[in-house]
Amino acid sequence: MAAIETRGLTKFYGAARGIEDVTMTVEPGEVFGFLGPNGAGKTTTIRTLLDLLHPTRGSARVFGLDSRRDSVAIRARLGNLPGDFGYGKDATGREALALLARLRGVADLGRAEQLADRFRADLERPLGQLSRGNRQKVGLILAVFHRPELLIFDEPTSGLDPLMQEEFLALVREERERGCAVFLSSHELDEVERVCDRVGIIRGGRLIAVERVSELLGRAQRRVSVEFAEPVDPVELGIVPGVADLSAENGRVRFHFGGAPDALLAALAAHRVAEIEIAHPTLEEIFLTYYEGKEEP
Amino acid sequence: MGALIAARLHERRRSLLSWGLPIGIWSAFVVAIYPTVEDALSKAIASYPEALKQAFGIAELNSVEQYLNAEMLSLIVPLAVGYLAVRSVAAGLSGAAESGRLDVLLSAPLSRRRLVACGFAATAVELAAILAVGLLLTALGSLLAGAGLSFTKALAGFANVWPLALLFAASGILVTGWSLRTSVVTGSVAGVLVAMYVADLIGRLDTGLDWVRYGSVFRYYGRAIEEGIDPLSFFGITAVAVACVALGALLFERRDLAA
Repeated sequence: MAAIETRGLTKFYGAARGIEDVTMTVEPGEVFGFLGPNGAGKTTTIRTLLDLLHPTRGSARVFGLDSRRDSVAIRARLGNLPGDFGYGKDATGREALALLARLRGVADLGRAEQLADRFRADLERPLGQLSRGNRQKVGLILAVFHRPELLIFDEPTSGLDPLMQEEFLALVREERERGCAVFLSSHELDEVERVCDRVGIIRGGRLIAVERVSELLGRAQRRVSVEFAEPVDPVELGIVPGVADLSAENGRVRFHFGGAPDALLAALAAHRVAEIEIAHPTLEEIFLTYYEGKEEP
Repeated sequence: MGALIAARLHERRRSLLSWGLPIGIWSAFVVAIYPTVEDALSKAIASYPEALKQAFGIAELNSVEQYLNAEMLSLIVPLAVGYLAVRSVAAGLSGAAESGRLDVLLSAPLSRRRLVACGFAATAVELAAILAVGLLLTALGSLLAGAGLSFTKALAGFANVWPLALLFAASGILVTGWSLRTSVVTGSVAGVLVAMYVADLIGRLDTGLDWVRYGSVFRYYGRAIEEGIDPLSFFGITAVAVACVALGALLFERRDLAA
């Protein structure tokens, strides 16, 4: 049974489209990255799953349960870190934790204490006195301390320093190993690339791609830069299958390559190569090609 | 539910000092000075127009209870505690939405109806505690000044404010079914509170406009410190408040909670 399953999930705010026809699944033990530019519909999707927003049409099921009708039962099994976590100024992290624990029926706060040590979170000071990053740590603990089956994170590392970002990624891997499904909405494409199994890309309220990260990166064209020891007619490389965006300047030839390496190597071997650089695209570069799509989906 | 109510009361604990103390001290002062001003007051009241005296409930000021009612329990305490009531529920709903706390609470296995009910219950306890503080300080002031205030009558007077305040708390919950902005919730209900008081006053000043009083809860508020609590009004207002909470909870459950 999928941890999350949406079919044609749609939310309109009056005439304005929030999301439309979002269909996707997230399996247990999977880390699913949810990417999109600002205003694309990421938060709308998350809030619809959590029954904070009611869909206009379509359905969302979490653990096979209806996200609206069975919302309370669903929330007993998930943890959520909202974007820009807040809890008011006066309460301490410990007070918030105590209340959440009682609402969830968790008596043993040992794991919460371990997480607080691990992330160096201050549970004693009023949350209004903490920096954004330190508040975020408290929010993270509140989301995971009860070992949920599904974690929903909206910009989870916002405000965290690099060390804590690494700890967060390690935590996500541990949760995946435990069989937890993780739904991660983030602008930090580096960490999405490092920890996610699949990504869904949403733009203009529509889900335009769902791919395995490894396949996305593997299919993407590499950036190749070659400097030859003697002048070479770039046309010789231009006819190699898979070569695109060819340019030549000052003895250096640059192009994108997405074909079979053998043909390229054979073309290069015909000349003396002084220097060669082959760069794999980052998820960010791939992602930007989706973001820059000129037509509204 | 107990955990949520306890948490809300803990958050609101300062209101005992910030609201209960001033109300209590002011009331205590009013009863404490009564023995001093009793004669002069009677002479001054005698010259007031009859309609005015009826409208403000000062037709007779022959006892400390009547004086306390005129000075505090007919206007200041119900308006102050009524306003506090709506601020209290607003903090738990619209205030929680604005601070992000609502998202955190509703990530737990907690229904929106239960959240509303617990917030209302906590507010009811908070209001009762504040009125109790007011009553005790008033009684202490009377004791120290020898004003001779009847504790039983004062208890009736302060207790009678409770359902009225509950109704305004319930109105605040009703408004959150429409708006989650604290300024809108408190402003609109405070406006209704004042409008109801003014409508009741106008109806009493001009008997030809008595009909407008039927739209005001103050018509049913009475003078419990003098006449005792009217059970029908007390429980009737409470019942209307509970009904408003039920409706407000339904509206809150159905509305979107945008980020």
